[in-house]
Amino acid sequence: MKAIIGLEIHVQISEAGSKLFCNCKADYRGMPPNTNVCPVCLGLPGALPVVSRRSVELALTAALALKCKVPKFIVFTRKHYFYPDLPKNYQISMFERAGGVPICRDGVVEYLDPSTWEWKSCRIRRINIEEDPGRTVYEEGGVTRSPYALVDYNRSGVPLLEIVTEPDIESPRDARLLVEYLLLTLEYLGVTNPRLEGVFRVDANISLEGGERVEVKNIGSTLDVERALSYELLRQRKIREAGGVVERETRHWDPARGVTLPLRHKEFEEEYLYFPDPDLPPVAITEEMVESALKVVRSRDLKLLIEEILKLGVQRDHAWSLVSTKPALELYRRVVELGGEPQLAARIIAVDLKGELKELGRDIHNPLNWPPAETIVELVKLVVGNVYPYDTIKGLVIPKLASNPQAKLEEVLPERATGVEAVVEEVLREEVKAVRDYLQGKTQALNYLVGSVIRRIGKKAVDPRVIRELLEKRLRELAGS
Amino acid sequence: MRKLKEAWELVRDFRDGVEDPVEHAYKVLEAIERWEGRVNAFISLESPELVVEEAERVAKSIKSGERVGRLAGLIVSVKDNICTSFLPTTAGSRMLDPYIPPYNATVVERILAEDGIVVGKTNLDEFAMGSTTELSAFGPTRNPWDLERVPGGSSGGSAASLAYGGSDLSLGSDTGGSARLPAAYTATVGLKPTYGLVSRYGLIPYGNSLEQISPMARSVRDVALLLDVIGGWDPLDATSLKVDRPSTFTVEAADPRRVTLCIVRELVEGAEEAIEKAFWALIKRLESEGVELVEERLPVASRALPAYYTIAFAEAASNLARYDGVLYPMKGRSGSWEEHVGEARVRGFGREVKKRILMGVYALSEGYRDEYYIAATKIRRVVRDEMLKLTRRCIVASQASPILPPRLGERLDDPLKLYAMDVYTVIANLAGIPALVQPVGFHDGLPIGVQWMAGPLEEGKLVSLGLLVEELTGLRGVVAG
Repeated sequence: MKAIIGLEIHVQISEAGSKLFCNCKADYRGMPPNTNVCPVCLGLPGALPVVSRRSVELALTAALALKCKVPKFIVFTRKHYFYPDLPKNYQISMFERAGGVPICRDGVVEYLDPSTWEWKSCRIRRINIEEDPGRTVYEEGGVTRSPYALVDYNRSGVPLLEIVTEPDIESPRDARLLVEYLLLTLEYLGVTNPRLEGVFRVDANISLEGGERVEVKNIGSTLDVERALSYELLRQRKIREAGGVVERETRHWDPARGVTLPLRHKEFEEEYLYFPDPDLPPVAITEEMVESALKVVRSRDLKLLIEEILKLGVQRDHAWSLVSTKPALELYRRVVELGGEPQLAARIIAVDLKGELKELGRDIHNPLNWPPAETIVELVKLVVGNVYPYDTIKGLVIPKLASNPQAKLEEVLPERATGVEAVVEEVLREEVKAVRDYLQGKTQALNYLVGSVIRRIGKKAVDPRVIRELLEKRLRELAGS
Repeated sequence: MRKLKEAWELVRDFRDGVEDPVEHAYKVLEAIERWEGRVNAFISLESPELVVEEAERVAKSIKSGERVGRLAGLIVSVKDNICTSFLPTTAGSRMLDPYIPPYNATVVERILAEDGIVVGKTNLDEFAMGSTTELSAFGPTRNPWDLERVPGGSSGGSAASLAYGGSDLSLGSDTGGSARLPAAYTATVGLKPTYGLVSRYGLIPYGNSLEQISPMARSVRDVALLLDVIGGWDPLDATSLKVDRPSTFTVEAADPRRVTLCIVRELVEGAEEAIEKAFWALIKRLESEGVELVEERLPVASRALPAYYTIAFAEAASNLARYDGVLYPMKGRSGSWEEHVGEARVRGFGREVKKRILMGVYALSEGYRDEYYIAATKIRRVVRDEMLKLTRRCIVASQASPILPPRLGERLDDPLKLYAMDVYTVIANLAGIPALVQPVGFHDGLPIGVQWMAGPLEEGKLVSLGLLVEELTGLRGVVAG
């Protein structure tokens, strides 16, 4: 039985600066409750919404990146439902009927499976710009047991994109990959910061071929997209295999218990009383707006960036490692721009440096935790010019740069070993057995001798190939004498 | 007939030292003292000491030669659906008793900036839903010209305060005639501006797409003065027009030989005999002065009233969703959130408001939306197109009300009759064009008004014609008693 999955992804336009209809902040994290509010986002009587230009521009950028049909003007609609954290008891949103005009119709998201390097695609039905409600906080035992609820309106009015896909997704894993890729795309476009707490939520519609669809709500992380849908798929399969019928319903994902639980039966279409918000005249999407949004898309489109890197001869897994961490990619592009050798630079940044940073528990998404491009360029040059061996850079320099990205290169570069010839002579004198073995034809003894030289040199930079060549030359001389 | 100095004359005389703002303030406060117990024009009043203090401040500024505002020393009353941070704002509803907004409406800010003195908040039909000012949670307002009769509504408190000398200027609001009908019933002047000329920021909405805050006064020149102060673009209202502040105050009375009036049969027929008589007497007089008369038809007029009410109710149902007893707590509290919201809405809203919410929800519901709300917006477009065509070539003359001021209770029993009182006034709201109502005469001591409508942003034309009419009728500055 084939799985049929469609997603409804809510992503905050966290980088808009302000809320959608007032000047309160779009990023409310860390603020005391109800301090990021004003008459507009509290929905006080008489206060009026005014659309933030920045939110519309960023939404437009997202819509164009997802190859949407974009209208000449957008129309906000009111969507009515009573809820304690919705201060007006209607949400200013968009709707494709009743006079509403969403920012996007008929788009497509192409996403990558980085393990098989297969590109997949999923159609997008529409994208709405809408306001986030406030937050209800339950004390003492959660929603079911708490005797009261607290409402925090700091989030009320934060701009959201509601991205609705067609049911083109065939597996829970693909659903996760899609969401991951989409979030990364939006991060590159400067629309959102996917790592902010609660910045996105996913609702999913999932069914087995020939069965009713079930809506799963409250999925808050990309891993949970896969977990929740896998669970739900298994649940539906079991029902079907036992000869039962899957009911059309809405279920709630409980991440702690790893199960979906019934929320309500969906027998009727909900009644939202949609109509165009009379406080908000249509907002024109001008050609200039489209042009400047397209400029952003062209310079920051994820797929184009990946292709650009691959063209430089970078391995796929290195390329993905770079793009999946925006500061890494930005560092990489700068390094290449400054003349760093692309393939080596990719390995150093995407594998070595990123690995060390992770090891140290540093936030790899914070650009300040990465060394400046000039430093990397120098490192790459040292290796390419055979001044330092790659292993030395990797083993001795990268860990130091990871723990202190602002360190000067001369401070972290190990002293270059001098008098290697003397050490080689010393080893040849003292390692009598190994020398004899080698001369008797046990060529692997050479490795031991190289290691011995390196040990004696200690924490100084030396290229093992140079030692090997020196040793071989001297051993040939010994053999000939 | 008792007459008072016009407000603009008072400002001039204050500045010239001919009149004393403090003495004037006492005079107005005395009128309030004498009439208020019988009329009930105000829901809340500023303390007399503060009013006098403000007048003293203005007087001192004038004496010391400082620059004072255009409303210096004038006593202004403000309809209680316009937000003030210094006086409660109830919208005539138990739901908002007591509610003190944390901000001032833009129009209030502009009045204060011109040294106007806000004396109190005037009574209205709950949330401006009514045509008689009987439907207030704070009791009905009576007509100073005949205390057994209503002053019209919903800005009845504003009109009554002007009619007995309890204010020099007043702010009303006009969704379907709410400023003009009371003007007609109290021998005062009301101007419903072009939609978008006056900021709605801080006006507690009833029908957002229809209404405008409207200047009210006892003369045309005074209304122009107040319009100039409150009008002009406001960045806080997305529906406000990007136009300069209006300048209608200096407009001169029209030359009758350069005025063309359209007599639209649908807008002059159907009124009581006394009203028709007064109307035609004025029209003949104007014709004899050289005004050109053109007969016109407006077949869509019969559908205007149902279209108006459908749109207004739909918007009202949405606007009033926010009153759920949470952010605006009602006294007492019961059980769960659902019960609490239910009880707040049952107890907080009056019958008429509940009726309109129910009808509005119906008009927006899936399956009925096309038949009602969408159909109404189509009629509205026809009305607008027709009126724009007409007003391009003439000023449209119309009755203000089909009936003389009814007795208290007379209209309440029959909603269709109640709604029919707005038959002439809703046209301007549907079309978004300016309309002025001014007194034309009296019948058995009851005021009769006449209405003029012009094209968008042609308030100056209306003022000009209004001044001419005042010259002919001598009806300016009249007060009851």
